Amino acid sequence: MERLLFLAGCVGATMAAYLGVRRLYLRFNHPLLNVVALSAGAVIALLVACDIPYAAYAPAKDLMTAPLGPATVALAVPLYRHRDILRRHGPGLLASVALGAFLAMFSAGLTAKAGGLPREVVVSILPKGVSIPFAVEISRLYDGVPALSAAFVVATGTLGSLLGGWLLTRSGIGHPVARGLALGTVSHAQGTATALMEGERQGAMAGLAMILAGMLTAAFAPLAVRLLGLL
Amino acid sequence: MARAFPSMKRTDKWGGMLRGVIARAGLPGRIVKSLGQFGVLWGVYFGCARLVDWLGWPIPANVLGVVVLFVLLCLGVVRLEHVEGVADFLLRHLVFFFVPIAVGLMDWGEVFARYGAVLLAAILVSSLLPLLAVGFLTLFLHRAR
Repeated sequence: MERLLFLAGCVGATMAAYLGVRRLYLRFNHPLLNVVALSAGAVIALLVACDIPYAAYAPAKDLMTAPLGPATVALAVPLYRHRDILRRHGPGLLASVALGAFLAMFSAGLTAKAGGLPREVVVSILPKGVSIPFAVEISRLYDGVPALSAAFVVATGTLGSLLGGWLLTRSGIGHPVARGLALGTVSHAQGTATALMEGERQGAMAGLAMILAGMLTAAFAPLAVRLLGLL
Repeated sequence: MARAFPSMKRTDKWGGMLRGVIARAGLPGRIVKSLGQFGVLWGVYFGCARLVDWLGWPIPANVLGVVVLFVLLCLGVVRLEHVEGVADFLLRHLVFFFVPIAVGLMDWGEVFARYGAVLLAAILVSSLLPLLAVGFLTLFLHRAR
């Protein structure tokens, strides 16, 4: 009984943190108001304050993340809604996103490896450019640490949405399709949100790019792992 | 509940019949419909998870699941109204699921303290380089047309 109450407490605290930060984000809409980072920070602060180790929180985590698989599958719905863009720009879109996804993975892994990071951390950083559900699974598949991957994904998304638009403008990339694809490929949902603020076309392209990048990164992961000698 | 599922449509015939039965049985149809939609998503995911397990493919089940559901939608086996209410709801709150995962970072503070600079460099390089690569390649492909 006590266990059950504790579990409910963990779930409740996490939900409260999420809903609270989400409300702030919707109100102020600033890229630094990252919902995942701030909510998780609040929950960690609470656990540390109450002297609760992560292992005690883990069952609540397992319970809450159980519907994540089916929820990710739902990404097929926006993909289907934009199938006409996919048909029209198919090959070029795939080529651009494939290049971006591979470069993101490879350059991250190479820098991390050159910097002497432990293997599990290098593996965890590989999928940092894709949305968290894909990143977490790719990381798990190669014995990375899902929590670390989630952190790298959030860091990448925040960085991309802060600097991405500026860098594209500085480099003379003004075409809405190019901007949307670049932002979505490199910084997933946060980049997509930024692209949506620029315009609907950018947003739709970014959403597509984000989903495609997730799938292509999963497809390229075995290659990247081998090239970086992480097997 | 009503606000959570704004795109719920009340048009399809089987849903209508089912709702009639449910209304007689005294169950709120919207909840049952949502459960049914979630069932479709879960079924696709579960099937893909088993398939990936069985074949031993190095692909995450959720990635395969997106492809499979997309194909099913294109073939008309699954129609948009079979999934979209719950799908939109789940996608709107997708980031919620990562909050408990990110809490796992509390055990990794040491790594960040020790390797923070390398991690930041890796993320910076691997974000800005592909950003430009995708942008320029897309521009090039558009002009080549």
